Amino acid sequence: MSLQVLDPTAEDVAVATTHAARLTSLQGRTVGLLDNGKIRVRELLDYMEDILRAEYGVARVIRLKKPDASRPASADVIAGMRAADAVISAVGD
Amino acid sequence: MTHPAQLQAATYNVADAFEANEFYQEQGWTDGLPIVPPTAERVAACLRTAGLDADDVIGVERVRQRPLTAEKVAINAVMAGCRPDYMPVVVAVLRAMCQERFNMHGSTASTGGSAPFIVVNGPVRGAIGMNATHNVLANGNRANATIGRTVRLVLINLLDCIPGQLDRSTLGHPGKFAFCIAEDEEDSPWLPLAQERGVPAGASAVTVMSVAPPRQIMNEWTHDPEEILDTFAAEMRHNMLTYSVWSGSYFLVIPKQLRELLVAAGWQKSDVREYIFRAARVLRRQWATVGKTNIVNRSGGPDQEFTALRIADDLLVVAAGGPAGGFGSVIPPWLGSKAQAITQPIDSP
Repeated sequence: MSLQVLDPTAEDVAVATTHAARLTSLQGRTVGLLDNGKIRVRELLDYMEDILRAEYGVARVIRLKKPDASRPASADVIAGMRAADAVISAVGD
Repeated sequence: MTHPAQLQAATYNVADAFEANEFYQEQGWTDGLPIVPPTAERVAACLRTAGLDADDVIGVERVRQRPLTAEKVAINAVMAGCRPDYMPVVVAVLRAMCQERFNMHGSTASTGGSAPFIVVNGPVRGAIGMNATHNVLANGNRANATIGRTVRLVLINLLDCIPGQLDRSTLGHPGKFAFCIAEDEEDSPWLPLAQERGVPAGASAVTVMSVAPPRQIMNEWTHDPEEILDTFAAEMRHNMLTYSVWSGSYFLVIPKQLRELLVAAGWQKSDVREYIFRAARVLRRQWATVGKTNIVNRSGGPDQEFTALRIADDLLVVAAGGPAGGFGSVIPPWLGSKAQAITQPIDSP
């Protein structure tokens, strides 16, 4: 006697999602820094930008902002980030 | 007709219901409480009762474009303990939550910690035996409890809202287990919430919003409608000062004892809204009284005024609660108007 039960998770979605190809180096690359609208995030991202340029040879940084921390990035912000080779979406708080 | 054979979910064989529960707990597929094993027969019954095919998409989570399929929602509804006839209500709640103005991603991931608060109106309440009276905000009724719980299991299992992962809530909220009530339409002369929001009389609907925890008030020392509402407004002002000042929709749940005093004085819900809109305001200087002196001189300065509601119609007045006691509940928004109340009709299958 046994019971057959069903999987409650989004199993199909997990299979359908793929990661972008990983970068081997940031040298000469463009990096997007997404400002999530939280207090002090600008200082945090300024600091990260300095490190990315000085220590990792990042050539260009794209800085765009969400409307605020509680709402998703708008379509034009996401489109603007497509020009980047990598994006850092961080939480400043 | 949905037949079990059309279901697409992966299956697992377990010895019995006890082993099923242990397996689901180990996988992290619950809210911590035991589950009802979701068998194909039970899931198919939910789909059949709601008139859905297994692959129907109930809604799509907007930020990550995650579809909520009828089959997966039904699996979680069975796990939560729903009867098949609760399924149309579950579907309406999730459709509401997938609306952009609901802001499901932000409100479920937030450190602030919100819970979706569900108010059910219309004939479906009686048909599935929902509670609108004693202990209404808490335990005791299968439909209230398991419809609310289904929402949490869907968030966990289909949208990865797992505490410490996507769910970043610092403290959480007791209503995250379940927070679903019916309005006491039979014992109130007031227009039901859904009808006020455009749903025709005789139709059933849900109204859902991401909310902060409820704040209980008591005033048994007056029959004056303005004094009664001053107590509610004071709690709203307190929320503005100690929690979040941003304006948006608040729920007021008004049980029978205070409701009858308002009704006897000829006050409709619209009168309550207008009075509260004027009364629930604070000045920036008042933050000095709650340990927030550092922000008194910011922005518009000490005399800057804030209103709890953007407009009077932001107030969502619900008749519910047990018959005795001069109590009421103020249920504030998660974060001002960043997540809004959605009213969604319930489809009759």
